[in-house]
Amino acid sequence: MTTLENPQLNQPSSIYVPEPAEIIKMAKLTEMEMHYELRLADGRPLGQDPGQFVQVSLLGVGECPISLCSSPTRPETFELCIRRVGKVTECLHRLSEGDTIGIRGPLGHGFDVNEMHGKDILIVAGGLGIAPARSLIQYILDERERFGRFFLLYGGRTPQELLFKDDVVRWRENPDVDFHVTVDQPDSGWRGKSGVVTTLFRELPKLDPNETLAVIIGPPIMFKFVVLEILSRRIPQTSIYCSLERQMKCGVGKCGHCQVNNIYVCQEGPVFKYAQLKALRESVE
Amino acid sequence: MLDRIVEKNELLELVDELSRERTIIGPVPREEHYFYEAVKNVRELDLGFNYCVYSPKAFLFPPTETLFRFEAQDGSFGATPVLEDRPQAFVGVHPCDINAIRLLDRAFSRDHADEHYLSRRGATFIIGIDCPKACIEGVFCVDMKSNNAEEGFDIMCYPLEDDGKGQVVYGVMFGTKAGREWILYHQAGRAPSVKDERDFKQYQRQKEQAFPRSIPYDVDTLPDLLERSYDSLLWEATARRCYSCGSCNLSCPTCYCFDVYDELDMTLTSGERKREWDGCQLPGFALVAGDHNFRGKAASRLRHRIYRKGKWVREREGISGCVGCARCDRACTAKISSIEIYNQLAEEV
Repeated sequence: MTTLENPQLNQPSSIYVPEPAEIIKMAKLTEMEMHYELRLADGRPLGQDPGQFVQVSLLGVGECPISLCSSPTRPETFELCIRRVGKVTECLHRLSEGDTIGIRGPLGHGFDVNEMHGKDILIVAGGLGIAPARSLIQYILDERERFGRFFLLYGGRTPQELLFKDDVVRWRENPDVDFHVTVDQPDSGWRGKSGVVTTLFRELPKLDPNETLAVIIGPPIMFKFVVLEILSRRIPQTSIYCSLERQMKCGVGKCGHCQVNNIYVCQEGPVFKYAQLKALRESVE
Repeated sequence: MLDRIVEKNELLELVDELSRERTIIGPVPREEHYFYEAVKNVRELDLGFNYCVYSPKAFLFPPTETLFRFEAQDGSFGATPVLEDRPQAFVGVHPCDINAIRLLDRAFSRDHADEHYLSRRGATFIIGIDCPKACIEGVFCVDMKSNNAEEGFDIMCYPLEDDGKGQVVYGVMFGTKAGREWILYHQAGRAPSVKDERDFKQYQRQKEQAFPRSIPYDVDTLPDLLERSYDSLLWEATARRCYSCGSCNLSCPTCYCFDVYDELDMTLTSGERKREWDGCQLPGFALVAGDHNFRGKAASRLRHRIYRKGKWVREREGISGCVGCARCDRACTAKISSIEIYNQLAEEV
């Protein structure tokens, strides 16, 4: 006697129940960020697209959205980079290897790697934006022959705050990526470039506007300046990807917290094309 | 076309029968207002109610509910979903609230289906009562095209005759197979005659005149109007009065945003993950890590709410996000009125 089909099966299920995952490895990246390598308890690969996110749970504490920072081409484990900014992340930092946390995901829409195949790729990452960018960087390096030229620009605030320093060293040495890094505030030991990330654009050779796809991931203030640099190189708005940050509470397009105008970032995003974003007021304001 | 003619007393007898297998939820008078409440005795119901302060939304999507129970002891990890499917019946739901439930049905079914809502919804039988006239001054359901419900009910009762003393004859329309079976199984009422159909047409004609219009344009053009009004000064001017208290969200039959949090038992080894209604007008709603607030100003939050109700939800779900019940207008401590905003926007462009 119902007006809707009752979805309840013999075994009650819920989209909000996380599944257990074990912390395989934990490493402190900076004072604020911790790097986690995880494996689902049942051993199956997470199966993410670069750019997707998961909801991370600590039962009894809460849940928060975190970008995946590893590529599906490395399916044995998946990785997260978590900044200590609130109750859940604070408690996550206190865990140890071997502990179990809850995972829901992968969620949202990541990068359309099929569209990227065969193209030159320019990734510009600022601050914590290097974490989601890393899932795509790894993908490109692992599938290197499927892409054209690969440029990677990374800007941090200080040398201490740079994330994935081991990767930074490797990328610098890697002939398969044209990598440049800068910091806003260098210290006496810093031998690299200094200045905001847009200053790295002068290191780039001439880009082919029709063959280049650009990716911008970073804080809102960086976004505005970087998108200008890219547009000024005549790269069309439909060839620019961005990833938005919001505080998803449900991750499944219901709770409203990540809503920007008529889109739910957790559903249609977090990766968008600039052509779509520019019509969305409040998206990066 | 009507399916059946049933008198009110007989309908209440059927509901009484129904109460053996379902919790009955309907309008109960409390001082000068009506509220949807679970009743033990159908005599507590007053089907001649004008309007209820809140919609019956809370019986489908409670203000707080448990999503799952968990055990978190020494590395163990167990989570058991909590789904509620106790049979219930809403008796006496007006078209505005039925249309609001239709919207919730769509929002909670799309993409990732929300088992918690759908489980309750699937266990809910809905008896609608149509409104022959506007229930109270200030409602604008007719402008939102929500004063009639085409679906979303199991049966709909049209009060064709009402002697004002409690004797009412309903023309009944079946909305679902369940509704049809309920009436026909009990052989309630009688088949409609040619005169009944004529009375029903007359009822509908009178109804068209009984809802005063509040906005001077067709609501289908509201999304376009809003599209042009993003940078209007009206948002700032109106939001100066806003206390950001969220009463409009709280009273809205179509608001379904929520927050998620954990609650530990006394033992600290088990507990529940819960959700709780949240409101886009509350200052911290769009806050992200690092304290950046994407809608830090009351004006941007007010604009978000009006856009969501008038444009975005409609574009997303194909059903208006506002049903014109004016509960937000009545709940607002600062007397901010959405119908006034809809009108002022039209004057501007």
